[in-house]
Amino acid sequence: MDTAFFLVTSLVKVLIVLGFVLLGVPLIVWMERKVLGHMQDRIGPQRVGPYGLLQTIADGIKLFFKEDVIPAQADRVVFFIAPALSVITAFAALSVVPFGDTVRVLGRDVPLYVADVNVAILWVLGTTSMGVYGIVLGGWASNSKYPLLGGLRSSAQMISYELAQGISLVSVILMAGTLSLTAIVKQQEHLWYIVPQFFAFAIYLTCGIAETNRAPFDLPEAETELVAGFHTEFSSMKFALYFLAEYANMMVVSAIAISVFLGGWRGPFLPPVVWFLIKLTLFLFFYIWLRATFPRLRYDQLMSFGWKVLLPASLLNLTVTALVVALGQG
Amino acid sequence: MIEAFLFAMFGAGAIAFALGMVFRRNPVHCALHLVGVLLSVSGMFVLLNAQFIAAIQILVYAGAIMVLFLFVVMLLNVRGETPLLTPGAAKGFGFFFALIGFVELLWVVLSRGGDEAVPERLPALPSGFGSPAEIGRVLYSTWLFPFEVTSILLLIAVVGAVVLAKRKFF
Amino acid sequence: MAGQTIPLEYYQLVAALLFTIGVVGVLVRRSALVIFMSIELMLNAVNLSLVAFSRLHAQMDGQIIVFFVMSVAAAEVAVGLAILVAIFRNRETASVDEVHLLKG
Repeated sequence: MDTAFFLVTSLVKVLIVLGFVLLGVPLIVWMERKVLGHMQDRIGPQRVGPYGLLQTIADGIKLFFKEDVIPAQADRVVFFIAPALSVITAFAALSVVPFGDTVRVLGRDVPLYVADVNVAILWVLGTTSMGVYGIVLGGWASNSKYPLLGGLRSSAQMISYELAQGISLVSVILMAGTLSLTAIVKQQEHLWYIVPQFFAFAIYLTCGIAETNRAPFDLPEAETELVAGFHTEFSSMKFALYFLAEYANMMVVSAIAISVFLGGWRGPFLPPVVWFLIKLTLFLFFYIWLRATFPRLRYDQLMSFGWKVLLPASLLNLTVTALVVALGQG
Repeated sequence: MIEAFLFAMFGAGAIAFALGMVFRRNPVHCALHLVGVLLSVSGMFVLLNAQFIAAIQILVYAGAIMVLFLFVVMLLNVRGETPLLTPGAAKGFGFFFALIGFVELLWVVLSRGGDEAVPERLPALPSGFGSPAEIGRVLYSTWLFPFEVTSILLLIAVVGAVVLAKRKFF
Repeated sequence: MAGQTIPLEYYQLVAALLFTIGVVGVLVRRSALVIFMSIELMLNAVNLSLVAFSRLHAQMDGQIIVFFVMSVAAAEVAVGLAILVAIFRNRETASVDEVHLLKG
């Protein structure tokens, strides 16, 4: 009976997370277009539905009806699974994020995470590493110059920034003493980790933006540079999947930053899930704000920034944290 | 029961992906099949209470080493070779010796290494077995010297790889 | 879940099968890259066997050895692929049947 209850609640939670991401992405896209529009002194979508809210639905329907073009000599199987890989890894990373405190359902406590893994941060880092495959395989399977170059550049960028991202998270792990995200959120009862670890937060956020290939680190997929980078040859639903994966990855990076640095679902008065959503929206707004504000980094600037600035900075932060923690315990 | 199902899925997946890896023509497909093997083996690690090693397998092996493989395959643009397998008698010898090796391994496994002290049921695990805390505790006490040597080994590998792959500028 | 329902011999069997498939790959394929990947497959089979034994004896040493095997495998892949790239640049072929002489 307990196993059955656990299985049913787990399935419901998985469906809720899936539904939340699938419904949230159109909202994020709408928010991006509106916010970008207003920051650029124009209005953005306003005709399709009230305040242009149904614009993304209209775009989705348009994408659905487009012809699915596969380039000649393209590797069909890999062409088919590459977008799916991007989406799968994005969703898999969300499975360890705590969305709220425990709720009581049918007389039993149901915690609001899909899984509490004792190596949660490693799992998240692992799945984001696997996300590189979706990009590099998409670029290669297109059998075309621009996608291949875009895919290789994009994946090289992602690999370079993974290191600094992991090391900045390790600083928090040192202070928390655990790799589990639910435990880290529980420990932030009195002090959010952003206060002692502000540099780690800044480094993690920068690396997260580079990982998701968002502006100002989006050279590999900018229209003016490499046509559209690795997803040039993808049309219709495959392109929609890549699009979905990009915004889902943004949500993953934001969710991890919230859980590790900003106290997760903690906050006064309002229910925990609402606080999580508020913080998530703030992070996504920050992403969009960056896109509207900063010019694009050139690729060599990007790579040298990742290797020569962020990685030493995160290592320095880790050393100082380790010293403080060791001296504090001794 | 769930465990049996998961083991069957991961085990069958690992073997299927391994066979696909060895017998496919296109090197990129071989690399992808190897990634499948790595993920299946990682699943089996979780079933064996080795959570940290499972996560590290995905993070390091499938997420970094295989990406490196894929990069090299794509940049070298290696095509599949036309006779897939080594022609002639060498192929027969290869299969034959592999079969002998497998029969030996099978004998060792089924006779439990000839050791009668191997218990029928598995011992209970201490709490925290396979967790990062346990790994850290054992790694930095008993295995500290190999750990330090491994770090030097990795440094040597980095320097060696850079030197080997560098183009010579005249 | 209390106790293990899968006897460890099954894990050893899978490891033995994977190892043998890797041996076949090394002995029978001609592409240097696929031979390299088969070596990685063999290393993974050994890792699986080590973790199974670690579970059998309830000691962490098997998992620590796997940790080291993984780092050594990473180092080996880096250097091996660098050598392969160097050979490929000179000989334009990745087939081991054609690079069997010391001079090109």
